[in-house]
Amino acid sequence: MLEARNLSKKYGNTDALQDLNLKVGQGEVYCLLGQNGAGKTTTINIFLGLISPSGGTALIDGVEAGRKGRTNHLIAYIPEVVQLYGNMSGLENLDFFSRLSGHKHSQQQLGSLLLKAGLKEEEHRKKLSFYSKGMRQKVGIAIALSKEAKVIFMDEPTSGLDPKATNEFTVICKELANENKTIFMATHDIFNAVNVGDKIGIMKEGRLIQSSDTTTINAHELQELYLKTI
Amino acid sequence: MRKDLVRLIASQFGKGVFKSRAMLPIIGILLLLLAYATYSGIQYHDQNHFREDHQHMARSSWENNPDKHPHRMAHFGTFAFRLKHPLSVFDFGIESYTGNAVFLEAHKQNTVNFSEAGFSTGMLRFGELSLAMILQLILPLVIFFIGYSSIVSDRENGTLKILLTQGASWKEILFGRSMGLFIIAVLLITPFFLATMIFLLTEDHTVLGDWARFALIGTSYLLYASILCLVTIAISASSRSAKNALIKLLGLWLLMAVLLPKVSQAAGAYFNPTPTKLEFRAAIEEEVKKYGDSHNPNDPYYNTLRDSVLQVHQVSSVSELPFNYSGFVMSQGEKISAEIYNRHHDLLMARYRLQNLPAKWLALINPYLAIRNLSMALCGTGFESYVDFQLQAEDYRYMLAQKMNDLQIKYISPSRLSGSEGKRDVLNRETWKSIPDFKHEFMSLSTALKNELISVISVLLWLLLSLWGVQYLSHNAKAI
Repeated sequence: MLEARNLSKKYGNTDALQDLNLKVGQGEVYCLLGQNGAGKTTTINIFLGLISPSGGTALIDGVEAGRKGRTNHLIAYIPEVVQLYGNMSGLENLDFFSRLSGHKHSQQQLGSLLLKAGLKEEEHRKKLSFYSKGMRQKVGIAIALSKEAKVIFMDEPTSGLDPKATNEFTVICKELANENKTIFMATHDIFNAVNVGDKIGIMKEGRLIQSSDTTTINAHELQELYLKTI
Repeated sequence: MRKDLVRLIASQFGKGVFKSRAMLPIIGILLLLLAYATYSGIQYHDQNHFREDHQHMARSSWENNPDKHPHRMAHFGTFAFRLKHPLSVFDFGIESYTGNAVFLEAHKQNTVNFSEAGFSTGMLRFGELSLAMILQLILPLVIFFIGYSSIVSDRENGTLKILLTQGASWKEILFGRSMGLFIIAVLLITPFFLATMIFLLTEDHTVLGDWARFALIGTSYLLYASILCLVTIAISASSRSAKNALIKLLGLWLLMAVLLPKVSQAAGAYFNPTPTKLEFRAAIEEEVKKYGDSHNPNDPYYNTLRDSVLQVHQVSSVSELPFNYSGFVMSQGEKISAEIYNRHHDLLMARYRLQNLPAKWLALINPYLAIRNLSMALCGTGFESYVDFQLQAEDYRYMLAQKMNDLQIKYISPSRLSGSEGKRDVLNRETWKSIPDFKHEFMSLSTALKNELISVISVLLWLLLSLWGVQYLSHNAKAI
């Protein structure tokens, strides 16, 4: 579903990404670990078509990602902090963003999507400015669900979430994967990565230097490997 | 570009803005300003009744003169009052600083006096607030305030990435936000035009042409608002932070509304100084003196004229002429002095126009100057409409003086050699009623537009430029 072929990105003389090669299959959860500036977000931005690579190709379902938005119908994005529009309710935000993607849902359908994303019904009509970070993440997930995206990119989605919210988020991610959604997640949360991910990559200075399968490594081993690698 | 998506983005933006608490004080302040400016405008325009009353008084004073010598009537004179255009309720223009009444008499071109500023304290300059001024100066600030963060905040908090990955293109986002901001601007502008419209509907002197002007003013301000909206969105999209965008927009406002207008005025006055009122009058009198005194039929300058007239009529003295020679000489003198005055006046006006030239041309790079000039011209309160009144008043004065001279030539005994001859050589009082009254006609719409062609071109160019700017950014703006 996702493929990076010799993907690289330069900012002036700085290599933000160097010869990245990876493949993520349909329904897989890929977690990218690494320090700040390792190239995780740059990788996501190239796949989202928000920046152009300096070299190589980013493919989504065989289609090259780029500024023209040819792969937009396939993807959804959940940032570290889902801000959206604070003076609109969760329901209104979901309605707006799903209509942007060409999907017009009834109020009932929108409510169901929010419930599926884990947002309680009584919260649906509250203004987003009253939502916690975790609740906003759920609206972000509902937006991804509403457009029936095949691939969901997440940039440090559990950063700043309390353990309960993190756990809820992990459960939702697993459900999404069970529904054959591909998830590509940049994270610092090693334990969550092992818990939710199928594959894990570790990046350093723009290079993918380790790639592991979570069936062969536990959280403790991954932590040791991560600390040793970076 | 998908229109439904543009509409969706516009409507989301508009709804979001009106749900924001910050809008309440903005709307409240604008409504207060609107009420104050409307009240000021109506008070201001009410002076028309006062001026009309005085025009009638001047007329009845003229008509109530007893049987008199026409030259005494020429010196009795009358007044010309400048009427305010119905649309001056919207834009006061420079009217507060120009005079509005002039005394018209033979041989002498008096200045237009009794300006508002002349009767007011220096506070007028700070306290005057018209509907147009709010739209020209305050509206840009409101638009900038509402729109400065519209794109850049979404970029800062990551929402822009979601918008783009959801399928909206840069073009749809930029034009959608511009449209949303424009709709808000229209909603804010509408009460100002409604107030003006209600005034026009209730004003007795409104004619069809005023509605055409009103429509043009409305269109001009809508174009001005759309330029401001597009520029705001373009700056928001091209700035690295919301703070940066706000600083840029405030800087732009200071440049547009304060710096450039002041610099253009100062430069115009510095490079094209005008004579003082005293110097102007002295120069005219100096030149008139060279042509002698037309009140004196034996003035040496007019001897040549007298000799040629005598020769044509084959008589030896002016008392033998079939008409009153004194009136004839004064008619010629009036013609000469009017020509001299008009030449000096034209030169002075040309100098004033040169002073205005920097502001006129700077309108090409400053849409505020363009809309200010255009608005004044359409409301009949600009410099050219003031000059037009002066010319109308002078035309009337000249007509009146020459008419009195003609009456003297025709009806006063040829044996009378000097001006007025007391009660012996008089015309019936009914004669005065046959002279038409002065009626101030407003400058035509086509002339007003022709005078402000640069401003019209500027507004259209700025609209195209800002549209191009947003279009350019839709290909080059960065999401991160």
